[in-house]
Amino acid sequence: MSLPLGVAKPPEGAVANAPQDWGALVRFKRNRGAVVGATLVGMLALFAVLGPILSSHDPYASDFVRGVRMDTGTPVGPSSEFWLGTDRVFRDELVRLAVGARLSLLIGIAATLIASTVGAAVGIVAGYTEGSRGVVLPWPVALSLPFALFLAVYEHGVAALGLVAIAVMASALGIAREVGWLRTGVRFNADVSLMRLVDVGLSFPFLLLVMAVGSALERTSVVSILAVLGLTGWLGTARLVRAKTMQIRSHDFVTAARGLGASTLSILARHILPNVAGTLIVVSTISVAQMILAESVLSYLGVGIPPPTPTWGHMLFEGQDYYGAAPWMVLAPAAAILMAVLGFNLLGEGLRDALDPQER
Amino acid sequence: MKVLLSRLGWALFVVWSVVTITFFVEAVLPADPARMVAGAQARPVDVDRIRKQLGLDAPITTRYAIYMRRLVHLAPSSAPANAKDHAGCVAFGPIHVDLGRSYDQRRPVAVILGERLPRTVALAIAAMFVQLAIGIFSGVIAALRKGTALDTGVVAMSLIGVSAPTFILGVFLQFLFGHKLRWLPLDGFGTTTLDHLKSIVLPALTLGIFGASYYTRLVRDEMIVLMKTDYVRTARAKGASFTRAVLAHALRNALVPLATVVALDLGALVGGAIVTETLFRWPGLGALSVTALVNRDGPVVMGTVIVTSCAIVLANLIADSVYVLLDPRVRRS
Repeated sequence: MSLPLGVAKPPEGAVANAPQDWGALVRFKRNRGAVVGATLVGMLALFAVLGPILSSHDPYASDFVRGVRMDTGTPVGPSSEFWLGTDRVFRDELVRLAVGARLSLLIGIAATLIASTVGAAVGIVAGYTEGSRGVVLPWPVALSLPFALFLAVYEHGVAALGLVAIAVMASALGIAREVGWLRTGVRFNADVSLMRLVDVGLSFPFLLLVMAVGSALERTSVVSILAVLGLTGWLGTARLVRAKTMQIRSHDFVTAARGLGASTLSILARHILPNVAGTLIVVSTISVAQMILAESVLSYLGVGIPPPTPTWGHMLFEGQDYYGAAPWMVLAPAAAILMAVLGFNLLGEGLRDALDPQER
Repeated sequence: MKVLLSRLGWALFVVWSVVTITFFVEAVLPADPARMVAGAQARPVDVDRIRKQLGLDAPITTRYAIYMRRLVHLAPSSAPANAKDHAGCVAFGPIHVDLGRSYDQRRPVAVILGERLPRTVALAIAAMFVQLAIGIFSGVIAALRKGTALDTGVVAMSLIGVSAPTFILGVFLQFLFGHKLRWLPLDGFGTTTLDHLKSIVLPALTLGIFGASYYTRLVRDEMIVLMKTDYVRTARAKGASFTRAVLAHALRNALVPLATVVALDLGALVGGAIVTETLFRWPGLGALSVTALVNRDGPVVMGTVIVTSCAIVLANLIADSVYVLLDPRVRRS
């Protein structure tokens, strides 16, 4: 790693309060991949914002006049009128792609916000309390908690969800393992229980969750897709943030802060969070790519946002049957997905190299 | 040993939680399985009769209790007397596992899974083979030529590969080899063994190329670090050939972290590659789980979920222990 003269060498390891580190910006600019990634993401954003405004076509309206004029009935190919051609009911591909871009970006970013917030909170708490003796919940409290939860759900009429809640609670309490049984109550360690929850969550079938949330909210919509992606996306983030927190926790400045009498909350907010932030930004950027991918997979499989709303995944699915006759119907959404995911991946990698120079 | 037992206990608990949550989530989904079996035109009386037949008239907690009791039970010693009760069971000695009967196909779920699982496992192994072959080869090449155009090219390709979801890569391969060149069948499973072998190539390539991108980067990063270690330099100094230093000294150590990832990936692949199986109409577990979900075929959904979660949990267990087995340093500490 070579740094230009005049740029302060970033301090080794983590620092309590990071000074303005312009080295990161310089490193980012020198990384070709990162610049390509940033450009791709910028272009995507521009396309999503301006595309539907500038286009004279309606993403939902079929141009049947043109359809009747065609004798073969196949989709119209790229022309001066339809730059990327049309789909099988003669809707303009380009404007549908742009509306799809809005949706993909919105879902990708919003779901990442949910997932990263929850993941960061869970990861920091778990990482900070890892290996600690935990809190002892007195027996009355420990026993009434699942019971109260069960009652609360039962009141709403669905006994089933009460049992689900118990299963979740049991896994959350980590009763199966590493729980010290005391005379006074159940030893409750936030790290053990949270990580158990992550374990269960990661083994849970993703598609079933999508359909369950979709039908619970009457029909699949942007909100239900966001809920599902947010609900499942934080699991991986939490694991990574936890590992990073454990690493930072062992630094002297944390011990010093604790020795000086700082409260746990202020240590988490002033010392742990700023140092985890770099990792979090990187993970979030790559997570946007994964969310966009996940959304397109869902709409490809037909369990995403239902038509006529244009989604990249569904456009690809529709185009798949026509790849011999109308290859643009596959190529356009495929290129869009590829560019978007690649852009965010490159951006994330560039940010990692810029923010965490000691990690490779 | 104690650690292993507690891991195993925890694994069982994870499977139980997933099974329980799935059971209730599946049960509260709005569509009515009895109506699905009876058909849209059936009289309400018939729907009720079918509901009773399927045992869906009992309260949900009762159904859960019945399901769990049947799921793992002991076979009675006088088996022939009521062999009919255990027709759909998978027997592990005296322990029987009963997954119930499919509403849709009216066959024991265990039989259906028994048909599907080998195909998915075959696909998983074929994909893993492609993944390892491409991943290790290009990873090693890139590491040895670090900083050259070749290295940059491999890294760029792997980034694109990571970003291309299987349905884009799959459609592309299908178009090229199935449609344009007509070397391989477009999709399906075929009827003869030769058909199966031909049909497995495209889905395996799709899954393999996608996964190989990650392996390439892993192997490359590991190899770059390992080639600089003292023991590789020592091996060279003692007269080992360059090839031997790379293969026997550096690559062998790079395989340790790879083995963990391979175990995890195999677990995920056995769980069913839903998109790839759907795209190539490969009749495996992934495709089955989608149709079962859409048809509200509860017992089949439960069956696929059980197999999937067992595969993932088992893979996690193996991934943890593989490290200990392969790396003596970990074993000692």
